[in-house]
Amino acid sequence: MTWLFLQAVVSGLLLGGVYGLVASGLSLIFGVLRIINFAHGAVMMLGMYASYWLFVLLGVDPYLSILVTGPLFFGIGVLIQRIVIEPNRDAAEHNQLLLTLGVALFFENLALVLWQGDFRTVRVWYSGASFLVADVLVEVPRLVAAGGAVLIALGLWGFLRTTDVGKAIRALSEEPEGARLVGVNVARIRGVAFGIGSACVAVAGALVTPFFYVAPDVGESFNIMAFVVVVLGGMGNFLGALMGGFIVGLAESLGAAFLPGSLKQLVVFGLFVVVLLLRPEGLFGTRRGR
Amino acid sequence: MSRDRVSRRVFLKTAGAVAALGALPTVGRAQAKEVKLGYILPVTGPLAFEAQLSLNGLQLAVDEINAAGGVKALGGAKLTLSPGDTQQKVELGNSEAARLIDQGVTVLIGPFSSLVAFSVRQVTEKNKTPFMLLAAVADNLTEGGLRYVFRVQPNGKAMATVTMNNIAEMAKAANLPLKRVAMMHEDGNFGTTMGNHVEAFGGQLGYTVVQRIPYSIKSPDFTAELSKVKASKPDLLVISGYYGDSKIIAETAAKLRIGVNALVGLANAAYSNPKFITENRELTDQLFDGNYWHNPQSARARAVFEAYQKRFNSTMSNHGVQGYQVMFVLKDALERAASTDREKVRDAIAKTNLTDHILTQDAIHFDEAGESVNATPALLQVQGGKPVVVGPARFLEAKPVFPVAKWKG
Repeated sequence: MTWLFLQAVVSGLLLGGVYGLVASGLSLIFGVLRIINFAHGAVMMLGMYASYWLFVLLGVDPYLSILVTGPLFFGIGVLIQRIVIEPNRDAAEHNQLLLTLGVALFFENLALVLWQGDFRTVRVWYSGASFLVADVLVEVPRLVAAGGAVLIALGLWGFLRTTDVGKAIRALSEEPEGARLVGVNVARIRGVAFGIGSACVAVAGALVTPFFYVAPDVGESFNIMAFVVVVLGGMGNFLGALMGGFIVGLAESLGAAFLPGSLKQLVVFGLFVVVLLLRPEGLFGTRRGR
Repeated sequence: MSRDRVSRRVFLKTAGAVAALGALPTVGRAQAKEVKLGYILPVTGPLAFEAQLSLNGLQLAVDEINAAGGVKALGGAKLTLSPGDTQQKVELGNSEAARLIDQGVTVLIGPFSSLVAFSVRQVTEKNKTPFMLLAAVADNLTEGGLRYVFRVQPNGKAMATVTMNNIAEMAKAANLPLKRVAMMHEDGNFGTTMGNHVEAFGGQLGYTVVQRIPYSIKSPDFTAELSKVKASKPDLLVISGYYGDSKIIAETAAKLRIGVNALVGLANAAYSNPKFITENRELTDQLFDGNYWHNPQSARARAVFEAYQKRFNSTMSNHGVQGYQVMFVLKDALERAASTDREKVRDAIAKTNLTDHILTQDAIHFDEAGESVNATPALLQVQGGKPVVVGPARFLEAKPVFPVAKWKG
């Protein structure tokens, strides 16, 4: 029993790190643009394909591919925001929501046309690497993914704290009117935020490719949980999203280990509903307008 | 690959047309008729890859039949395939089926997904069009007193119970009687059906299902689930799932040293899939899968495999085998019906008694409901990088390796 508990905790934490990074991007975009980005999972999928092709065609290690996919998807994010989101900034919220859903469907079908529905895998020498700590299995690629996710999320958090662009992003997220009044270039910062959010999720995609598979609908595996994580952590709360990732990972894993059937989903979504009801600002959110 | 196929098809059509023109003045016969057969498959969407495997089988059989002179009872009429794409969606399945029937297809073949099949069978029933199920495994598809639905492959119940029986016998022969079974299955219609049968059949075979874990195929990690399986110390782990989930489950089970006598797929989309095996040689070695398959003892089956390999540059999968066989069941029925009238073809299919086939079973014939009475899945094991038949005994290709040392803790 103790072994099962420890194993569930470890795998939950490892999974949670990745959820956290995916959700951080989603949360950042929500904080600044006030839209729920349904295309987030699709961008992750494209990031995974980018890493896959870099590996297959040029032999680039998936972890190194981050250096390419990070900036590339920052650019793609900025473009999506410029071309699709910004022109509809004043449209009703549900329209913007549908817009991101449209972008997601477009990307998924584009991937289907370009690369078919095949499941593809990246086989690197460390793909199967794992070790045991007191009988508890730790898979190396999952450990690297979780560790990398946390480092990148913390790095971005530092970036948001210390740089001018970061401060502008936070200002826009916390007080849009005020930010505009003090001269923040709102349109540009929105683009930057969408770009960073997209880069986050593309990098998360690169981190999971060594132990996962790539397919046109693969983004959904992580994205659905990311929505839960964002709500848990507080919409727009960057560090909250990271913490929320660990909580959801743990809840899912412990639920799977100790509850019968597919009740693990119930735990996660139950948590989601309870938090929405009791603390709509999220576990780590601060109440606005006080 | 697909471009090559089209050009080949075009070539065959052109060649056929030229031949027909040449024959016209001398024989003085009316121009060669054709028999239109419609298929609906998810050729785009998440199941596009698998659907293509079915389609390859259909196409291979059609070309073989046409090259050998078409349907003789219809004056050498050629078979043609009319395509329909379901994208794995119920509404599209219905509308594509209606469209093809409207265009005058004699028979409808498809549609892969049980969910789509359940709805489309009402369209075919209403339009009195024979409907040959492909890949759809849910038991209830032939229920409800339907006249036009036929299924050549084993249904869910046959798939599950025959496979468990094959395993129980193998375990008994190895002096490791089957007592504790863990079952993981995807939580949709397919997996749940399989899980229900495995659980219900335990009493008869003397095993208990000690863990039954339905899961979402979107789940990115199965470590906790498999740890729970390991803690319950089963003799056997049975998995009914799709491609990506089944891959991650096998990988994680290996790393966890899951400690069972064998990992067995049940109608699993990955464990006997040539692509999965090629890409994961070490992992897949000695994996079992209970699935519909071809008869390795049949010379004809071997010839078909060679033809498939040559044409599509890959090993024929179970989906290819089914597509191929269904087409020959239809050819047989058309010869006996000597007509393209849907009602006559339907009656001919119902009276099928086909012994010249490539499956692991006795003659193909259907019961009242349209289920193939003798349909039997084979028990397969990956050996030397390819799935070989290790049960039932009369189709044996190689001896099973059981217990599998690498899954033991």
